[in-house]
Amino acid sequence: MGHTYDFASVPGYIPKIMKAFPVTMEILLLSLLFGLLIGAVVTVGSLSKRKAVNALAKGYISFMRGIPTLQLIFLLYLGLPQVMQGIGVDMSGVSKVAYIIACLSLSTSANMAEMMRASYLAIDKGQREAAYSVGMKGFTAFRRIIFPQAFGVAIPSLGNNIIMLFKETSLAFTVGVIDILGKARAISAASYGTNKLEVYIATGLIFWVICFILENLSRAFERAYTKGRKKAAS
Amino acid sequence: MRMINVEFIMESIPSLIGAIPVTLLMAFAAAAAGWILGLAIALVRKSRVPVISQVCAVFVSFMRGVPLIILLYIAYYALPITISGYFASIGREIDINAVPAVAYAIMALVLDQAAYSSEIFRAALMAVDEGQMEACYSVGMTKSQALIRIVLPQAMAIALPNLGGLFLGLVKGTSLAYYVGVYEITATANLLAMPALNFIEAYVMTTVIYEIISFIFNKLFRGCENRLKRFREGASAA
Repeated sequence: MGHTYDFASVPGYIPKIMKAFPVTMEILLLSLLFGLLIGAVVTVGSLSKRKAVNALAKGYISFMRGIPTLQLIFLLYLGLPQVMQGIGVDMSGVSKVAYIIACLSLSTSANMAEMMRASYLAIDKGQREAAYSVGMKGFTAFRRIIFPQAFGVAIPSLGNNIIMLFKETSLAFTVGVIDILGKARAISAASYGTNKLEVYIATGLIFWVICFILENLSRAFERAYTKGRKKAAS
Repeated sequence: MRMINVEFIMESIPSLIGAIPVTLLMAFAAAAAGWILGLAIALVRKSRVPVISQVCAVFVSFMRGVPLIILLYIAYYALPITISGYFASIGREIDINAVPAVAYAIMALVLDQAAYSSEIFRAALMAVDEGQMEACYSVGMTKSQALIRIVLPQAMAIALPNLGGLFLGLVKGTSLAYYVGVYEITATANLLAMPALNFIEAYVMTTVIYEIISFIFNKLFRGCENRLKRFREGASAA
C-alpha cells in the first residue's frame, strides 16, 4: 500500500457529509416515535396479568434483544418481499427508508419497553393507592401521578436508548439509503476509494459530536425535570 | 411461485454452522482482551493518574460516540498502513495482505469493548463501599493487595450482570464484521442466499442461530449471577 494519507483533508469532508444529516434525522425521529409507540404497547403486555399476553410480550422483547439489527434489516428488506411475493403481494413500492425505519423501530421498541417497564415498577405502589384514596380513577391516576414520576426515572435510559438508536441509523447504508454514512461512502466512491480512511474518520467525528450533544441534552433535561421533585427510585 | 426452498436449507446448514466459530472467536477474543483493557482504564480513571486518565476519558467518549460499523471501517483501512509503516520504519518488509480481515475486526471490537466495559467497571468500583478499602489498610494490606483481594472480587460481582448484557451486544455486533470482509454467520448466509435469491430461508436460519447463541449466553450469565449472589447475602446484611 503505497498510498499516503492526508489527515488535513478530514475537516473538509464534514460539510459534504452533513448534507445527508436531514435523512439521518428523519430516520432517527420516526424510528423513535414508532419505537416508543410499539414499546408502550409491549410494556402494557408485559405488565399484564394474563399469562398468554404476558408471555407474548416477554417473548417479543427477548426475540428482539437476541437478533442483531443487521439481521433484522436483511430479514425484512430482502426476505419479506420474497414471502409477500409468494402470497401475491408486491412490495417493490415500499421505499428503502421505510424499511430502515421499520427495522429500527422494532429493534429499539424492545429496549424502550424494558425501560418503561422498569420505570413503571420503580414507582411506589403507595402512590397509586394514595391517588385512589383521593378519588382518582385508574387512568387519571396514571396520567397525573404515576406517569410524571416514572418519566423522571426513565430519562437517563431514554437518553441512552436515543443515542443507541442514533448510532444504529448508520446501518441505513446497508440497504442503500444515503444517510450520513451512506453519503460518506458515496463521497469515497466518487474518488475511487482513495480517501476512504479520511472520510470515515470525518464521519466518526460527526457521530461523536452529535452523541456528545445528545448526552448533554439528556443530562440537562433530567436536571430540569427532576428539579424540586423527590427521587422516586429511592 | 415457490415459498420455501427446503433443499437449500438442508444444503446450507453445514456451512452456516461452520461459520459459528468465526463469530464466537471474534466475540471471545474481543471480550477477553477488551475487558482487561477496560478494567485497566477504569483503574487508571479511578486513581486519577494525570494525563493518562484524561486521555482515557476522551478515548472512552469517542468509542462510545462512534457507531461500531464506522470503527470497523476505520480499523480496516487504518491498521494495515499503520502496521506496514511501522515495519518499514524499523527496516523490515512484511506482507500486509497476509493478515486476515478478522484480525482487524477483532481489533476494532477490542477497543469498543474496552470503552464500554471500562464504564461498567468504573461504576462497579465506585459501588464498592469506601470502608472496605479503609478496612484493608487498617489490617496492614498494601493498596494492590486490597484491590486484588477485597475490592475487585466485590466489584466483579456487581459488574457481572452488565457485562452479560455487553457480551450479548458484542455477539450481535460481530455481524457487522461482514462489511469488512469477515466470513462470519451473516456474511456466509448472504453468500449462500445470493445465487438463487433464497434470502428468507437464509436469514430465518441465521436468526435462529443468533437467538440460540443469545439464549445460551443469557442462561450462562444468569447462572453465574445466581452463584455469586450466594456469597453476597452475608455482605448485604451488614
